[in-house]
Amino acid sequence: MSRVIQNSPKPLLAAHGLVKHFGSARVVNGVDLQCRSGEILGMLGANGAGKTTTLRLCYGFLQPDEGRVFIDGVEREKDPDGVNRLIGVCTQDDTFDTDFTVRDNLLWFGHYFRPRPTDIESRVRELLERFDLARYATAKPDTLSGGYRRRLMIARALVHQPKVLFLDEPTTGLDPQARMAVWELVDGLRNEGLGIVLTTHYMDEAERLSDNLLILKEGQVVSVGAPRTVLGDLVGEHVVVLDAKIPEAEMIESWLDKEGFGEPTRILNTWQFALDGAGLARFSATFGQLRFEVRPPNLDDLFLQLTDDDS
Amino acid sequence: MRLYLAMTAWQSWAVLRRHLTVYLRNWHTAALPPIFEPIILLLVFGVGLGSNIPDFDWKSQNVSYLAYLAPGILAYTVFMTAFFQALFAAYIRMHYQKTWDGQLTTQVRLEHVVWGEALWSASLGLAYAVIVLFVLLGFNLGGWLDLHWTGVIATLPLLFLAGVAFAALGLLFTAIVPTIDHMNIPFYLVIMPLGFASNTYFPLESDALLAQAWLMINPLHHLAEGVRLLLLSGVWSFHLIMAVFLFLLMIAILLPVDLRLLRRRVLGEN
Repeated sequence: MSRVIQNSPKPLLAAHGLVKHFGSARVVNGVDLQCRSGEILGMLGANGAGKTTTLRLCYGFLQPDEGRVFIDGVEREKDPDGVNRLIGVCTQDDTFDTDFTVRDNLLWFGHYFRPRPTDIESRVRELLERFDLARYATAKPDTLSGGYRRRLMIARALVHQPKVLFLDEPTTGLDPQARMAVWELVDGLRNEGLGIVLTTHYMDEAERLSDNLLILKEGQVVSVGAPRTVLGDLVGEHVVVLDAKIPEAEMIESWLDKEGFGEPTRILNTWQFALDGAGLARFSATFGQLRFEVRPPNLDDLFLQLTDDDS
Repeated sequence: MRLYLAMTAWQSWAVLRRHLTVYLRNWHTAALPPIFEPIILLLVFGVGLGSNIPDFDWKSQNVSYLAYLAPGILAYTVFMTAFFQALFAAYIRMHYQKTWDGQLTTQVRLEHVVWGEALWSASLGLAYAVIVLFVLLGFNLGGWLDLHWTGVIATLPLLFLAGVAFAALGLLFTAIVPTIDHMNIPFYLVIMPLGFASNTYFPLESDALLAQAWLMINPLHHLAEGVRLLLLSGVWSFHLIMAVFLFLLMIAILLPVDLRLLRRRVLGEN
């Protein structure tokens, strides 16, 4: 996917020290994040890590107990209307207006913004064409397939030409073809200079789309940066994969424990664990007679590690 | 104060406009109940049942049951229309259609959604009341009724205010009922008794202290009696002032409670 626009130095979205409680639970605990023009920030974490709540604090659905959110330099608390004019939101669930057609959903959304979007009719036509929705313009949204519903949700979030787009699990439940179509659209929006904040459960989606990753665990940021950096920080340099049924399994387990690499993750009949360069050299020297595979870490490893830690 | 000021915000009126647009698209079916319900009620109860009820003394004047019933239907229409919109229709938009969630991703905030729903419910209540007034005019022209029309236009703002207050009551239940099936509980335990024990369909006159106290604090009673005195005698009564006071009190108390409960329900806030 080609990149046209270079990152600008000033963040379009900046959040500092976000804290949110639900009852006595501190679900977001001091989160800082930022996203620049032409950048996609992928927010990852296990279920309950605080991704959606953090996103909701940023787009104003929830009010933080502590912390500040700035959009294009404007503080949300001081000018919520001004900030909401600058952002577009595509929620996890479909929230279009089922009383209106596809076209009227886009048109009507424009009524909820001031200053009003200029030349709304041609903007809607443009979005219908771009998101391949023109042939469904007079259909009710609930008659569309899952992929086209997501297109409509994203198109609707763009009616007023926002600068920052929030996408909360935009491809959940879609088939691979529909997911890739959404990826193409999101990539195109990034190339036009939108700052995009994305939460997803799909590791391949986060890996392909994100310029930066923000990893949340129990409401806190555990790592942030380019995907390779984050993986190196949290997972390790190499992942070793081997058959879990081998007789040496117990020996390997105690070796990992002794070396301080923790327990291996079991996936069906395989074991996998992350090692740094020196650790891999020592493992090879100790268990060189075994058949094993070494591969670079990916976000699946990270996700498994996060959820393993939770359990 | 921010909540009350939100009534004048463009966002609240944008929400109202959305509901109006949807309603007008279905006007040909949606207009049937407000037109035919008062006609049927007046014919069945006023003319039919009323023919078996001799004229009776009400506030020192002799009235037929049809004449007594007509203003009651007007008050009852505003009450039920506004309440139902704010209960069932708003609940469906909030829970099933997720219309509120969509609106909340824009410059519209929850206080605007609440005001939009209340203003829309009141507007529809007022529109239905105007239709009822036209039906009453028809009965008047047909010689079945002899109503005083002077000052009736001036009651329209009061009917609108009543609609806002009853919508605020409806939104309270929207905020707290666990599922749509549970709406039977407030409907049959609160709304139906309130609707009928209010001098709408029959005179509720008792010297018992409890009944007197109930009527004194019941805004629907004051609305029905105030409008009835105006339509039957052309008299501006104490009931109209009490109705204004009680409706304002309801709005002042209920809307902040609605917002707080809906914040918890819709946003998950504490």
